[in-house]
Amino acid sequence: MYGDVAFEFSEVAGLRADIRRVFRREWDRLALAGTWWSGRERVAIGNEARHARFGQSSPRTILATSDVEAASTVSAKPAAIRREWVNAITTDLGYPRYVEIVGIVSRLAAIDTFHVAIGTELEPLPEPEPGEPSRTEEPLARPGAAWVPMVGGASITQALSLVDAESTAQEDMHGPLYLTYEEMAELDFVRGLNRAQMELVAARTSAINECFY
Amino acid sequence: MLRASASVISIEFEPRAITDRSLDPLLPNGRELLDLVDAVLTGTAQERASTRQAVIEAVGPTGLVDAAAVIANFEMMNRIADATGMPVGKGTLKRTAEWRALIDIDRFNHL
Repeated sequence: MYGDVAFEFSEVAGLRADIRRVFRREWDRLALAGTWWSGRERVAIGNEARHARFGQSSPRTILATSDVEAASTVSAKPAAIRREWVNAITTDLGYPRYVEIVGIVSRLAAIDTFHVAIGTELEPLPEPEPGEPSRTEEPLARPGAAWVPMVGGASITQALSLVDAESTAQEDMHGPLYLTYEEMAELDFVRGLNRAQMELVAARTSAINECFY
Repeated sequence: MLRASASVISIEFEPRAITDRSLDPLLPNGRELLDLVDAVLTGTAQERASTRQAVIEAVGPTGLVDAAAVIANFEMMNRIADATGMPVGKGTLKRTAEWRALIDIDRFNHL
């Protein structure tokens, strides 16, 4: 697997080990069968997302048209997503398969953006591993105020909870890249930037992305 | 979070600079950080290189890594929020109404 070969960042000063570690873990996750998609399909979803994000034409793919539409839209036009589109795409895909796509694509966007920001080449996508998806249902998920079912009330930390593995992967990424959910209460937190500087960067990113949340 | 964290560490800032780049955010090295975000998300390779260098000179290489990581995290979180139709709670909406009006972000509310 990718535990010790990818994401070297050998020319990047100041890189934290936790960032390298979570990126490698994510590459392992991407290559392996997930909850509703095989490893081959998950890497294909990542490939579609990456092509759409960087304005390249869609590659030859094993995915169905609606799978491609979901991956490319979440990747390249997230601010254009409306409830009607989610209703339509999940009629084809079902909510769990859609939520897994959202998880895969959003974490790939984070990894690719980090590379663009620090000025290094994108990491080649991993080779898929064999195996079947677990198809584990989440019995506690319910429809609510958001557009997809989730466990508990609608909150950003629960957004992917219909597919527990995707929710776990989101939380794993959140700590090294920003703050753990516990650290978010520390308003005087300082790492390379102080907390106010971090929030300024976060707010500007969300403004450019036209994300109200 | 920005308002609260600036208050805790007792520094001034100009919130309208989040959406109006003609304004100085007043935070230390705020302009360099905003320039980096703009270059990463909408700029050219040349703009990214120059803003990256400016951030390194302002806050050092660990500051650049932090800034890159925060941009990356919110690229992830924005997509998750947009794709799942995540609503902002009524309490938060009430608490932040004045601020949201000041920086004019209600126009992004598609829910």
